[in-house]
Formats: sequence, structure tokens, C-alpha cells
Amino acid sequence: MKNKIGVYICQCGSNISDYVDVVKVKDAALKVNGVHLAKTTMFACADSTQQEIANDIKEQKLDAIVIASCSPKLHLFTFRNVAIQAGLNPYNYVQVNIREQGSWAHSDNKPKATEKAIQLVLGGIARVKHSKELDMIKIHSENAVAVVGAGVAGMRAALELAEMGSVVHLIEREYFVGGRASQWNVLFTTNETGQQVVSRLYNQIITHPKVTLYTATNIVSKKGSVGDFTLTLKTKPRYINPECKLDLKKFQLAIDKCPIEVNDEFNFGITKRKAIFKNYDSEFPEIPAIDYDACNKCGECAKLCDDIDLNQQPHETTINVGAVLLSTGFNPYEPPVGEFGYGEVDNVITLQQFKRLIELSPEKLIYKGKEIKNIAYIYCVGSRQVDGDNKYCSRYCCTSVIHTAILVKNKYKGIQNFHFNRGIRTYGKQEKLYHEASEQGDIFLQSFEDAPTQVEKVGNETIVKIKDILTANEELEMSANLVVLVTGMVPRENADIVNLLKVPIGRDKFFNEIHPKLRPVETVIDGVLISGACQAPLNITESVKSALAAASKANSLISKGEIELEPTMAMVYNDKCTWCGKCSAACPYDAISIKEYNGKQIAQITEALCKGCGMCLPVCPENAIDLIGYTDKEMESMIEALIS
Amino acid sequence: MAKINPDFAKEIFKYGNTDFQACYNCGNCTAVCSLSDEHNSFPRKMVRASVLGLEKNIQSSLDPWLCYYCGECSTTCPRGANPGELMMSLRRYLTASYDWTGLSKKFYTSKISELIAIFIFSALILVLFIFYHGPMDTTLTEQGGVKLNTFAPWKTIEIGDWIMAGLLSFFLITNVFNMFLKVIIKDKTVKIPLKLYFTELWKLIFHFATQWQFRKCNTKDDKPSDVKKTLTYWIMHWLLMSSYITLFTMIVGFLWWFQTDEIHNWWHPQRLLGYYSTLGLTIGIIYFSINRIKKDIEKSKFSHYTDWTFLVLLFLTTISGILVHLFRINGMPYATYYMYVFHLMVLFPMLMIEVPFSKWSHLAYRPFSIYFNNLKIAARKEE
Repeated sequence: MKNKIGVYICQCGSNISDYVDVVKVKDAALKVNGVHLAKTTMFACADSTQQEIANDIKEQKLDAIVIASCSPKLHLFTFRNVAIQAGLNPYNYVQVNIREQGSWAHSDNKPKATEKAIQLVLGGIARVKHSKELDMIKIHSENAVAVVGAGVAGMRAALELAEMGSVVHLIEREYFVGGRASQWNVLFTTNETGQQVVSRLYNQIITHPKVTLYTATNIVSKKGSVGDFTLTLKTKPRYINPECKLDLKKFQLAIDKCPIEVNDEFNFGITKRKAIFKNYDSEFPEIPAIDYDACNKCGECAKLCDDIDLNQQPHETTINVGAVLLSTGFNPYEPPVGEFGYGEVDNVITLQQFKRLIELSPEKLIYKGKEIKNIAYIYCVGSRQVDGDNKYCSRYCCTSVIHTAILVKNKYKGIQNFHFNRGIRTYGKQEKLYHEASEQGDIFLQSFEDAPTQVEKVGNETIVKIKDILTANEELEMSANLVVLVTGMVPRENADIVNLLKVPIGRDKFFNEIHPKLRPVETVIDGVLISGACQAPLNITESVKSALAAASKANSLISKGEIELEPTMAMVYNDKCTWCGKCSAACPYDAISIKEYNGKQIAQITEALCKGCGMCLPVCPENAIDLIGYTDKEMESMIEALIS
Repeated sequence: MAKINPDFAKEIFKYGNTDFQACYNCGNCTAVCSLSDEHNSFPRKMVRASVLGLEKNIQSSLDPWLCYYCGECSTTCPRGANPGELMMSLRRYLTASYDWTGLSKKFYTSKISELIAIFIFSALILVLFIFYHGPMDTTLTEQGGVKLNTFAPWKTIEIGDWIMAGLLSFFLITNVFNMFLKVIIKDKTVKIPLKLYFTELWKLIFHFATQWQFRKCNTKDDKPSDVKKTLTYWIMHWLLMSSYITLFTMIVGFLWWFQTDEIHNWWHPQRLLGYYSTLGLTIGIIYFSINRIKKDIEKSKFSHYTDWTFLVLLFLTTISGILVHLFRINGMPYATYYMYVFHLMVLFPMLMIEVPFSKWSHLAYRPFSIYFNNLKIAARKEE
């Protein structure tokens, strides 16, 4: 029990004192047993006041303090630091909120506001009396990171982590690295191709001693927590001898022979590929792959090429890492059949398909046997939806489509581009592209979401219609040879990772950070970081920036060898516990497991996982769990003081 | 439902070179224009119609004629799309579209056609003189002047003048009527009561005589130097216009009084009017030519070849006219006769091409557009 308590009542300028009689509150506090001093103050957070409180603690040897002011969300850590400076354990400080929950809420009734403030302060004093000195918990951390997804973001993060001295396990689900960037040709500002960017990163990664790359690999299980995760990886066979000589002619024979044809996802389904494949010549790793899920093991290819080994089996690897960095990227939005004629009108495709079509068409732009001249681009498909869930702007598509329109016009003769948009968002330097496209004669038409652009088949023609708000709402139409739906971003199919790691998902279905501005690459799961387009629609530059942020955040978290955690967490009274398992079921963080104790089974809290949320407390029938920092004793005495 | 026609831009480029396609519809041009108002909002609407190729919207619009090209829109445009020059190009385009003969379009879009036409008209004059000129009398009058009316009797020339004036009027009036059909009759949103055609008529005359709209090209925020430039431009334009009208009237209506063998005193109205007009034309031509060469005011930055054709023909006509006069009063018969033929060889094509089919047609379209516009506004008010 603390008995030299200091109580400070803040006026917050006049924010509090206009409605709450702070002197009355101070006098009420002074009457409580154990309160050594009570003061009012103009601004408790002012530097001079902080100094005064620190001096009081030192000179008068206070053993606990209560500050009645604003919400702890604002200043909990400010005043904890004051306590630390003065040599007082920060957990012997309690903040009472008499502004948001007092003066502001009850400005219409001053006497009652004062009365409530007194009760709250008495409650705070009662709680602080029972407070304990607590220390940060320190746990071991492994200086290794699992980076999930070897796209541009993942590879860049892996490289950065390795440079900073962490061991990196780079895990890619596909047979080849590069992710989406490898599917794009020329990129804006640098005029490099996506494939060149990928090659540069790959060549650095593959020669770096601290990076291990796993392709065709999924994470199948996870144990442990921040600082000490154990992950089991399952790698699909490639069916090709990894030490083989790269005789591409031989492989081509095998590819020709292969009887299996599947949709080529690299080209977004506009072409087919064989079960044995490589998407493009300079793709990495260099050796082709045989699609584990598609191959029927007929063995025809193995007859032509000795390096093919259909007896390879899937294998598992276990790795130990301190943190997991997710960079699982995005999928293009897949329009449902009928959205702007998609799947119904024969010449409607997505922007991503269109970009592949351009790369596959060297001389003339031909789709389904017809030469393309007039192209209609319909913007914001799958983004900024009025009825659907995707309320967000996908950010990259305006720039991407305008960039593509310029490329198309330069590459083929007689192309005319028509942009049916809902406002052009080529922010930053990308604005130059918009200018260039207008100057080259591209036509921009704009509509509101309540009168969307329409695509109709009239006879042999595909007619696109719009009520153009830039032409006084005049109804305009054109006949398109090709309609390109400018589809936005949605997160990749990630259910397995989400289930394993319990990554929080936002309403938009992307991974959620803790705070968009202040903690943009961390998740509420300690040790799990997010980067790139798995978090939100981002372009390559932005993805790489967030990857670098996540890499340094991961490194600073685990590289010291130990991690400090808040001591506020659940604690089991071993003697009382009878293990019914209810607490474990209630825990949202998987922090409660079972252990043997004196010949019986009891609950055990994994410190590194517990967040101190308190979900396990009310469900315990034996009252065998307490929350350190919010013990029953503290809370009960607080309640008593509040209602007294 | 209107069909978008991107090829229309290529058509417009023939009438003047601007980057109007760079427009991103911010509307600054319209906001900054001191002539655009709630009845006629321009130039953005015209830029948009040009980008989309909405030919009907343009052909039925009076906006290009209501613009007097102060150039504020072009200097303000964040995209360098030159809306002011587009309006100029559209005036050329409209001149061509009102002309039912198709000659205007030919002259505006093909340099060769215009040169050939000039050549044909010149040749016609030359041939007529070769076969039908009067005696080349070298004796002088008592005052020492050349007997010009012996070589080219005013009665004969006047017949030619009337034929020419008849042709000019016929083409110009039918083209104005075509304009009337496109902008008034085809506009189903407003019906003009007959009475208004008379009550608004004074505006046609007033603006024909004064070009008062030029004065409105200034805004109250303009620098004094800009205000002065606009004022100078208006004065120069008026000088040129009044000189031309004076000469045209004397030639077509009063040739018996204007083309005399008698040498009047210098203060005689015949000579004073002649001097005023030729001086007015000369100063005007020099002023506009220097503007077009220096390109330091917005409206003179871009010159279509038809602009130069007009200035050159007008210059040659003026100079040769002055020379005919000087040769005549100084008793130089051959010089007078040859210069007279040359004078008509440039005057005739200039009037035949420029007045009904090219730049000079704006002497009708400008005031008529204000007249038509006021008819519409008044009719809407009455409704």
C-alpha cells in the first residue's frame, strides 16, 4: 500500500477549470488517507510543471502519483517519463481523465461535473495505492527474418535486411521470383522494364551469403512468437535437376511435347501454357519448372531431356526467425461477368491483360484476329465502388493506363485512345504523362459514379457511351475495337498466411497496420510486419519505400538479441488454476497454453504473445488469472472509491 | 447522341496551329475572359467541342465571333493549349463552313489553290486590258496631268466595279444567310419574334462602324501598358477599316468623282479623302505587319498564310494606288497606265478572294454575330 501519494489536478488552461471546480477536487483528494500532497496546476504537461512534479517526487519522497488531466492516450507516456526521471517506477503512476470524460462531456452541469471529477480522482488514488513496481519483460530474439513474397518489395527488403546483418529467408509461393513487376514491360520514369528491375535485384540476392531463397514454397505451420518464430516451409518439387545444364533447346523440345495445357496466369489468361514452362527467357531462377499441380506425369518430357526428374518429392524445411515480413502483393481486380461487358462482349479485357497483349504483339495490335485502332479505357473498375466493398482508390491505375496508352500510340500506327474516367489522379511526377497523353491527342471524357460509362454491342460494333460532365453532360458515344477495363488492386489470396499468423485484415481486405501515420508497417501481431501492395494499393516506388521501412523496423526489433515487452499482461495463480481451457479459447492471440504443475495441468501465459487485453479474466471460473497492472485488487478498490 | 470524332482535330490544324488537345478542362480560360458572360461562355466550351470533334456544336456557335482575341486565355492556360489561337482558327473554320461554294475551305486549306485563284483573277484583268484598253494618249491635260480616263474611261471601269460588287455582295450575303440558318434557324431552343429583328438592328450598324467590343478586351486588373496596347490596336484597326470602307465606297459608288483627269487642289475633298484612306491603310498595314513579325502581343503570335496573303495584297493595292495618283498628277502617262493595270490586277483578286471567302469576310460575320447573339438574348428575356 502506497502512503505518500502526490495528486495533481490540471486546469488544462480553462478547458477543465471552466466547468470543474479544481480546488474542490484537490481538497477532496487531500482528505484521502495516504495522500501526501495535492495541487492544482494550469498545465500539467508544461515543462515547468513536469519539473515541479519530478522535484516533488524526489524531495518529498512520494511513492506514487496521480495526475487528473486529459485522456491517457495523450499524455500517459509523458507522465510516465516524469516518474522515471524522478526515480519512481512508471507503473506507480495513474492518469485520471477529467477532461474528455469530465469537463467536456458535462459542460452543461458544472456541480455534477465537479462531483464526477472528484469520484474519478478518488478512484485513481484507490488504484494507485495498490499499484506495484513493474519492469519491462525481456525476451530473446533471433536475428533472422522470414520475408514472404519475392516480388520487388520482398526482394528489396530481403537485401536491405541482409545488408544490415540479419539472416534472411526469402519465401516465394511461385516457381519464379519477380511477382507482378516481371509482368510489366517499360516502367515510368526510368524506362527500365519490370524484368530488368527484377533481374538486378535477383542477381544481388542470389549472391548474398545471408539470403536463402525458397521458390514454390509455402509456410505450412508456425510456432512461437516475436523474437522466436519457428516456421515450417513446404517446397513443391520442380521436377528438374537443380544442377542441370541450361540446355534451353532441349527444354523447348520437352515443352513442345508436353500434352498438358493450362491458362497462362503470367499473361492473365489471354494465352495458354504447358505444364513445363518458363514465362520469359531471362526469368529467375534460370531453370524452368514443371507445374506440380498441372503435370500428369506422363513422362513424355523426361524421354527428351535427362535433366527432368519426375521422382522428386515435396519436402519440408524448418526455420527459426525473430520476425516475419509480409510482402505478398496484390491481384488485379477480376470483374464479374457483365461488368462493363466483361465476359459478355468479346472485345472487353482488363488493363493487365492489355499490357501483356502489347508485349505479345510486335508489329500490329491484334486481338481475336481483328486489328485494333480505337481503344476505350474505362477507369476505376473495381475501385471507388459505389455499391461494392472496394471504396478505395487503387492509386496506380490512372498512371498505368495513361503510360500504356502513350506506349501503344507510339508502338503501333493509327491508334486513337479514349479515356472514360472519373477524374484523373496522376499525382506527383506522373502528371507529366497525363499532359503528354493529352498533347498526343488522347481524348478524356469524365462521368460521375451515378451515371457510369456504358458498353453495348450494337450489331458488329462495340459502342461506349458516356454522359460527359466536361461537355455540359452531353451524351457522347464512340465505336471501340477494344475496351480496356482499368482494373484496380485487391490483395492476393492469402487465407493460409492470415490463418497462421493472425494478421489483421482491414475492411478493404488488405493487411492492416497499427497506425497509418505513426506505425505504418507494423501489425498488432508483434514481430509481423507488412510492406508493399499487400497493405494497400501502391506503385513500385511506394512499395519499395514501405519495404525498406519494414526492413529497418524488423531489424531494429530483433537485431539486439533481446526484445523489451510491456509488463502489463495476464498472470496465472498456479494453485487456483484447474485448467478448464476457457481462457485459452478466449485468447485472441494464442498466448495461453497448457503445462504441468505439481502433478496437475494448468494454464501458462506466453509472455511474448500476451497483449494484456484481459479477455481471459472474466471467463475463468476459478478466478485464477489476474492482469498485472490491472489486478482485481486495484480494480475493486477503484470501483469502491468511485461508488462511495 | 453525338459521336466523338478525334479526326476533326486534324481538320482544325489546317486552319491554325494550336495545341488545344492539351486542354484538361480546368476552365481558367473562360474564367479570365472579359467578354465571356452568362449568355456565352467561352472559350472552354469551344476547346472541348474541338477536342471531341463536335462539328455541329461549333458550326451553330457564335462564340468564336464574340471573341476579340485579347490572348489572356492563352497566357493563363496552365497547359499551353492556346485557346485564343484556337478561337482564331475556328473563325477561319466557320468562314469556310458558312461558304456554300467550298472555295473558302479550298483557300484556307491549300496555299496552292489560293495562289492559283489570285493568278487567275490577275490574269483576267490583264487580258481585259490588253484587248479593251483605250488609246494610250501621251498628251497631257492643261493642268499637266495624264488623261487616265482616255486609257480607262470611268464609265467602263464602273461597269466592272458593279459586276464585282454584285458578285461580292451575292457571295457574302448568301454566306451570311447560311450563318443565319446555322445559328438561328437550327437552334430550336429559342424562337426569335419578328419585331426584335428591327429593334436590335442598331447594334449591327453600331458594331459594324465602331468595333466597340475590342474596347471590352480589357479588365480592370490590366496593367496601364496593356490597356494602352489594346487601345492602340483598336485605333489601328478602326483606321484600317474606315480607310478601306471610304475607298471602296468611292470606287464603287462615286468613280466619276474619284477617278478624274482634273487635278483638284490639295484641300479638295476628293484628294483629302484619298490621302486619308491611303495613309490609313499604309499605317495600318505597317502596324499589323510589325505585330506579326515581332509576335509580342498574343493575338499576333501565330500567323496563318492567309493572314500574310491578305496583308501583302492590301499593301500592293495601296502602294500601286498611291503611285497611280503620283504618276498621273506628275504627267507620266506610261507609268500611270501600267501602274493602273497592276493596281487592278492586285485589287481585283484581293477583293474577290478576301471579302466573301477569306479574312475580310469578318466585316460581315463580326457585326452579324453580335446582332444574332443579341436577338437570342432578347428573345430569351421575352420568353
